[in-house]
Formats: sequence, structure tokens, C-alpha cells
Amino acid sequence: MSDDAQAEVFGAIAHPMRRRILDLLAECERPVNDIARHFGVSRPAVSQHLRILLDAGLVAETRHGRERRYRLTPEPLAQVNDWLTHYERFWDDHLRRLAQHLATDSEEHS
Amino acid sequence: MTTTSITRDVYYPYAPERVWQALTNSVAIEKWLMPNDFEPRLGHHFTFRTNPMPAMGFDGICHCEVTVFEPTTTLAYTWNGGKLRSLVTYHLEPEGEGTRLKFEHGGFDLSDPAQEGAYRGMQGWNQALDVSLRREIEALATTQG
Repeated sequence: MSDDAQAEVFGAIAHPMRRRILDLLAECERPVNDIARHFGVSRPAVSQHLRILLDAGLVAETRHGRERRYRLTPEPLAQVNDWLTHYERFWDDHLRRLAQHLATDSEEHS
Repeated sequence: MTTTSITRDVYYPYAPERVWQALTNSVAIEKWLMPNDFEPRLGHHFTFRTNPMPAMGFDGICHCEVTVFEPTTTLAYTWNGGKLRSLVTYHLEPEGEGTRLKFEHGGFDLSDPAQEGAYRGMQGWNQALDVSLRREIEALATTQG
């Protein structure tokens, strides 16, 4: 995934309303009206957020007759998880090195 | 409210003074962590230098400021690199002959208006997402091994 695409994902989940929409779509696919009603916000406001989520690849739309429904496509979120995993490994590795450093250091002092 | 953070609880069989020295001496820090220009005083600005990680939007320079400096007990510094705005805290407690280190990487500073919205999203993501979405993400993590 390119840096731009990644920035888009992080940008998309930066907004609390968009995270709430993702949460809602994680339950089942829904039309815009349904989402708007759920949050008590206007349909255009929801559409705007959905556009950003669509562009980031976090949401997909399907046509059911006249209605468009939106569903969660969570794959791009994996990189958020990757970030945490990366730092967990980083610290496990370095805290172990700290132990080694302390051991070497005390040998030098004794 | 919980925030996304990494916590570790580690025992080192050395006195807190010795562990503190390793955490606050620039040469020692380089040995176990990264090259740096750390100075042991509150408010000091310094950097860590490491390999850039373009995929993480990280140029390899981590900008830090010492925010807590309580000798042999607590050290904290901000940890800002790429999109990341975070805080690293080391808390030391004497335990028997040694030291218990309570480590945390988290404490993302939401009050800083300069920080990128992108990262703000990530800081809040864990607390903001409900069970169903988190389950999706965990399922992804499992399938991807």
C-alpha cells in the first residue's frame, strides 16, 4: 500500500463520526438513510463521510434496486494493527537489550 | 477511558539507581535503544535517530521532550515521529534486590492542536471502536497470521 493510500486510511478514521459509521457498518450493510437516522444527522452529512470512507477503501457500496447500501471492508485497517504490532516488537526487543546492557555494565563495574 | 498504549512490566535484578542510569545516560541509551542527544533534565528537547520507515510515514527521526524527570522513580518523554504523537513513560519501583520497570508507550496528547488529524484518529481508534468492528480487525490479524 502506498504512503498516500495509507494517509487516506488514517485520515478516514481520524473523524469520530466516520469511526462510528464504520462501527455501525460492522454489524450489517445499510443504506444512507438508515445511517443518517441512526446518528440523527442529515443525509448529505453522512454521504460526505461515506465518500471519504469509500475513497479510503474502508467501505464498499452495492446497488439494491434504487437503493445503495454500504458495507464495511475492513482490510485497510490491518495497517493500524500493524503499527501497534511493530512498536510492541520494537519495545520487547529494546527492553531485552536494556537487560543485556545492565548485565554487561555491572560486569564492568565489578 | 482507555487509550491505545503498549505496556510492559519487567523485572531487572539491579538497583533502581543503576536502571535509572541506563535510562538517563545518553551513551547508555544509545547502547540499548538508539543514538540520541538526551540530557537528563526536565524540558530538554532531543532526538532519536533510527532507520526511516517510509511505509509508516516515518523519516527516522523521533522528536522528544523530557516531560517527567524524577530521579530513580519516573522518566517520561514525548515521542513524536512521522504521524505519531505519543509519550513514553518509565516508572521504577524497588523490588527485593532489584527493580520493577513499568513501561508505557501511549498517552497520546489530544490537546496538541499541531498534531496531525490522521494520528489523532489512530489514538482514539481503540476506544472509539465498538466490539463488532474490533472483532473484524482481530479476525483480520488472525487470518494474516
